[in-house]
Amino acid sequence: MTATVQIALTEKTRARRRNLLDFAAWSSDEVAALFGTADVMAQVLTRTIKKVPALQGFTVGTLFFEDSTRTRLSFERAARAQSADVISFAAGGSSLSKGESLKDTLRTIDQMQADLYVVRHPTAGVPYQLTRWTDAAIVNAGDGRRAHPTQALLDAYTFRNRFEGFDGFAGKRLVIVGDVLHSRVARSNVELWRKLGGEVVLCGPPPLLPPELAPGVRHSHRLADAVEGAHAVMALRLQRERMASGLLPSVAEYVARYQLTARALRSAADGALVMHPGPINRDVEIAGDVADGPRSVIETQVASGVPIRMAVLYTLLVGKR
Amino acid sequence: MKPKARLMNGEEVGRALRRIAHEIVERNKGAQNLALVGIHTRGVPIAERLAELIGSFEGITPEVGKLDITLYRDDLTEIALQPVVKKTEVPFDVHGMRIVLCDDVLFTGRTARAALDALIDMGRPAVIQYAVLVDRGHRELPIRADYVGKNVPTSQHEVVKVKIASVDDADAVELHEIPS
Amino acid sequence: MSGPRPGARRAGRWAVVGAHLVDGDGDHGVGDVLIESGEIRAVGEGVGAAAQTSIDAGGALLTPAFLDLHAHLREPGQEVKEDLASGLAAAAAGGFGTVVSMANTTPTVDEPGLVGELVEKARRLPGARLRPGAALSHGLRGETLTDFAALQAAGAVMITDDGMPVADGRLMRSACEYAAELGLIVQTHSEDPSLRGDGVMHEGAVSQELGLPGNPDAAEAVMVFRDCEVARLTGARVHIAHVTSRRAMEVIEHFKALGAPVTCEVTPHHLTLTDAALRGFDPVFKVAPPLRSDADVAYLREALRRGTVDSIGTDHAPHTRAEKDRDLTSAPFGLPNIEVAFPVLYTRLVASGELGLDGMLRLLQDGPAAVMGWPRPRLQAGAPADLVLLDLETERTVDPTRFASKAKFSPWAGEPLRGWPMLTVVGGDVVFRLEDAAA
Repeated sequence: MTATVQIALTEKTRARRRNLLDFAAWSSDEVAALFGTADVMAQVLTRTIKKVPALQGFTVGTLFFEDSTRTRLSFERAARAQSADVISFAAGGSSLSKGESLKDTLRTIDQMQADLYVVRHPTAGVPYQLTRWTDAAIVNAGDGRRAHPTQALLDAYTFRNRFEGFDGFAGKRLVIVGDVLHSRVARSNVELWRKLGGEVVLCGPPPLLPPELAPGVRHSHRLADAVEGAHAVMALRLQRERMASGLLPSVAEYVARYQLTARALRSAADGALVMHPGPINRDVEIAGDVADGPRSVIETQVASGVPIRMAVLYTLLVGKR
Repeated sequence: MKPKARLMNGEEVGRALRRIAHEIVERNKGAQNLALVGIHTRGVPIAERLAELIGSFEGITPEVGKLDITLYRDDLTEIALQPVVKKTEVPFDVHGMRIVLCDDVLFTGRTARAALDALIDMGRPAVIQYAVLVDRGHRELPIRADYVGKNVPTSQHEVVKVKIASVDDADAVELHEIPS
Repeated sequence: MSGPRPGARRAGRWAVVGAHLVDGDGDHGVGDVLIESGEIRAVGEGVGAAAQTSIDAGGALLTPAFLDLHAHLREPGQEVKEDLASGLAAAAAGGFGTVVSMANTTPTVDEPGLVGELVEKARRLPGARLRPGAALSHGLRGETLTDFAALQAAGAVMITDDGMPVADGRLMRSACEYAAELGLIVQTHSEDPSLRGDGVMHEGAVSQELGLPGNPDAAEAVMVFRDCEVARLTGARVHIAHVTSRRAMEVIEHFKALGAPVTCEVTPHHLTLTDAALRGFDPVFKVAPPLRSDADVAYLREALRRGTVDSIGTDHAPHTRAEKDRDLTSAPFGLPNIEVAFPVLYTRLVASGELGLDGMLRLLQDGPAAVMGWPRPRLQAGAPADLVLLDLETERTVDPTRFASKAKFSPWAGEPLRGWPMLTVVGGDVVFRLEDAAA
């Protein structure tokens, strides 16, 4: 191939890319393919040289308007393991002031001509807004309480790999317990699990589980009822602010009614897995022995983060446009 | 798709593979410390056939690995809408081994280059050699095969299709025209 | 149309000829309006013959210029968003002859001197007439009352903390008692702050879907009830601004039936847009009170037909484009609309058959006049020459780049609308002329 053709390709490939803002524009087949790619990526990470040149020449920018060292490092590792270049913009830095015009902020950053931006913001919708002003791909790393698609992907991926006798998501029930109202992890898991053919039940105290949230999904305020027949039970982190803001009476009250204990899990299906997006509040939303117990796949969830994010970056950046 | 021409029939493929197997053993002075790594997709059954053949006349069957080089290609943006990545299974330590990379067709040489990178990222083989069933010319990189089944001059508008009995209906090498 | 340019002072007698004349008294058929010294001299067939110059209306609809009791002109202190000059010009482009400006500026218009300055400045500007509103509390802080009498003497026609609810009921009561005694209208922004919380959009299925903090209709209903009750208690004339929900409208209906001195206003956007607009995550649609559900919009339209709504006010709230390009939490509330208000209302409600033209005109003319206790706008000799000529036929695309307002963006950008003002006359002067109108 001649040099001039090579340059033309580089210019063209920055033209309109796909995004991962949530799962609205993704099919279950595409998600299954992502999981297959993640398998390969997981294997790359077991080699002596934990790197492949697949994204050499690509630049990935991380725009974290909301701090999160764990998630940001996970994405940066996923980019570097594929030989991509990484530029980080963190909250509080001069380039990313909250409240500035997003368009102007992005336009300045976009001078770096990154091929993909990983974006986290405390307000919902920002990743969608950004797609209006750049041709780079956008990966949503969490926008307000609306969506956190890579978390849902690694949660479902973990279930696929760890559930004994897994034969697909159809007929599998995921029960999510806790502060659903404020949880983008919950919303994205509801969206993804159902897209893959599974069923979701939401459980939590009434102020944290409003009826209009997720129409078509069963709501329950009683843990024992909700967990019955579950193939996976996911506890959400309980944030102290909820008590302070008057939404909940007390931690003790929450623990008494909604803590995931071995006892509460008795009515779950055989082989049911215990999950948590992390970091856990030990003995608050989840009993310590359950978090450490044989059904818990929390560590697998954590370990799945980088392979899944590698697969996402690879899928969005590589291939004909 | 109907082939423009049949370059090798079943017997010819069989003979070529037997010859290559012998050449491998001769060049490497036996089958000790030897392993064959097939490049996905059709390099894999070829590697398996060669390993079987070597085992049949040396008494030692070399180990076989499967290599997916998608993550090492430099032409990913042109080859497909969404390149599918397959698993690499090299269940032995490549360090210090004599490795023969196996593929069906040698064309531009880019696949071979990617395979070399992938293999070297796994460890430090003592020697890497390269076996192909068909060399169709049009090299874009300074790559050459150590073992060649057949040299076939082709044009840019043609495609060489290799069929191997263990995965297709029979052994054969066909020449197809790219529809314009 | 040949004739004078906007802003040109007219000497002598001139006329608009061949117009379809309509006002609150009815349809007067085709005729002329003769204008001199800022007043209408005569109305009827052939009266234009006495004019020195004339503008040919070509049969288009001529009606008294509209009255807007609710617009944010951003002066003093926020001139980057809008100022009197651009705001009054934009109002004129929208067919409005009089605008009541809101007081939530920087500083707040809570001192008579500030009112006087606005009046003085506006006097020298072409465009709609300015009737300033003044703040109910100092700095809009809701703590201490401003000097209503002095503000009124300086030219304020309305007392309002609009932008902010008056959280303290006792302050609201005192304000109403004073205002009642002076014959001043109190316009309220009725939302309960604690129930409203940090909501950026209507609390409902869409806000849950989008994961955005919601502002429930209960926040509005609760405060509307309180404001109506205070009106009933004090006898003050309370005008509820921008009613957006069915619940709030039902509360107002209840109090009207009791005879409470309560009037209410609805905006063009709350009649034509719903919370679904937020699905695009565009902060242009972030307003307070928020765009509500289909059911709420349907009920508001019903209320229009039944006559429960007294006036339509634009709540024109210009911001810079950069401010509206922030995230949904940081972006300010409010959208600009004064130049497209009538075309939006006409196209979506009148042309679609939901409301008659006479009903719509009433909401923009007699309705607001009655709320303020002003004379009903009429096409008759002796009335001020405040007129708007409307093209009800030609469809034009909304092009914000051509707005007179500094806020050159719009929720309706790119939409084809009918009912565009072609000519606006204030005090006998042409203050707006549509450029592409056929010569």
